[in-house]
Amino acid sequence: MKQKDIKVLVVDDEKDFANTLAQRLKMRDLKVGTAYDGEQALSRLKEEEPDVIVLDLKMPGMHGMEVLEEIKKAYPEMQVIILTGHGTDKDEEDAKRLGGFDFIKKPADIDHLEHKIRRAFQEKLERTMSAIAFAEEGEFDTARKILKDEEDKD
Amino acid sequence: MGNKDEQDLRFLQLRFIGKILAGFTHEIKNHLAIVKESAGLMDDMIKMAKSDKIDSRQYLDIIHLIEEQVGKSIEHFTYLNRFAHRMDLPLTKVNVNDCMEELIVLLHRFANQKRISFEKEFQKDPQTINSNPSMIQFLVFNFLEELLTTLDKNSRILIKTEPLNGSVAIRIIPKGNILDTGTEKALCSQEIIDYVLAMLGGTLSKQKDGGEAVITIPVAAS
Repeated sequence: MKQKDIKVLVVDDEKDFANTLAQRLKMRDLKVGTAYDGEQALSRLKEEEPDVIVLDLKMPGMHGMEVLEEIKKAYPEMQVIILTGHGTDKDEEDAKRLGGFDFIKKPADIDHLEHKIRRAFQEKLERTMSAIAFAEEGEFDTARKILKDEEDKD
Repeated sequence: MGNKDEQDLRFLQLRFIGKILAGFTHEIKNHLAIVKESAGLMDDMIKMAKSDKIDSRQYLDIIHLIEEQVGKSIEHFTYLNRFAHRMDLPLTKVNVNDCMEELIVLLHRFANQKRISFEKEFQKDPQTINSNPSMIQFLVFNFLEELLTTLDKNSRILIKTEPLNGSVAIRIIPKGNILDTGTEKALCSQEIIDYVLAMLGGTLSKQKDGGEAVITIPVAAS
């Protein structure tokens, strides 16, 4: 999959922010959709799985951390970058523990965010290729663990 | 009121102010984030333009969005400034509608997080009363906070002001299901509520289990 085919879902309750960020990311050759709350994001995932999700924390209804947890349960290989204006160090710890790829505080430099998105996608791609290689050798448990990012990378 | 209650009251007042500031900063950060991204988008459009021809309508849309966010921020600053000045004097002329309006605007973010909305039904041309506006807001805040934690999502809270027997009545009316939150104790004790009411010369009647609360404040402070 070419780097320019990366599908991104931006999840933020501030519609103007989500839409403007999406526009900027599209100008950088990313395919971007938006969702304005956690429930909508989970619903969008069923229609079309993105490669990377950019997720706000403080949203009405489902909190971003709750959304992250649900995403990781249903889609363990999904890469999620938290992008928040209100996160604490504990939030960052919790997000990483739940499998978040990175934790970025707003306002984020767009080039930095783009780099993180591409890095997240690349890591997912490498993990998928590695899992395929193990599966081809019949090591299905190892392959599953790699996809869930549970395998010791050493 | 004993020394401990005095200390508790001061703590709760500071906590109230802290909550208001937290909600305010959340709002302003959101507006500024949109301004920054919008400015960045214009920057991208200029740098990535394939020709010298520009779509001025697109630029105007972005400019208007920035103006809108700046306008919203200014509005929030205005309300915060009004709220801050409520603490200038312990006894002053008070328009209760304005006090309630400030609370609704400054607590909007918290209510929104829980998908609860505020509604207002204010008395037309309310009588100006002589009282402590900061304490009135603190008192009402405690009832609003309790409802924000006990009401189910998609509920509403109606704040109504009306004249009542020579006083001003503030009705706080929940419209929605009250969740069973167990035996969680309210932070603000009844002793403190009673103390603040006595300070204001006011009265309180409250239905059980998170129902309607009616606070009356006399026109002239005792």
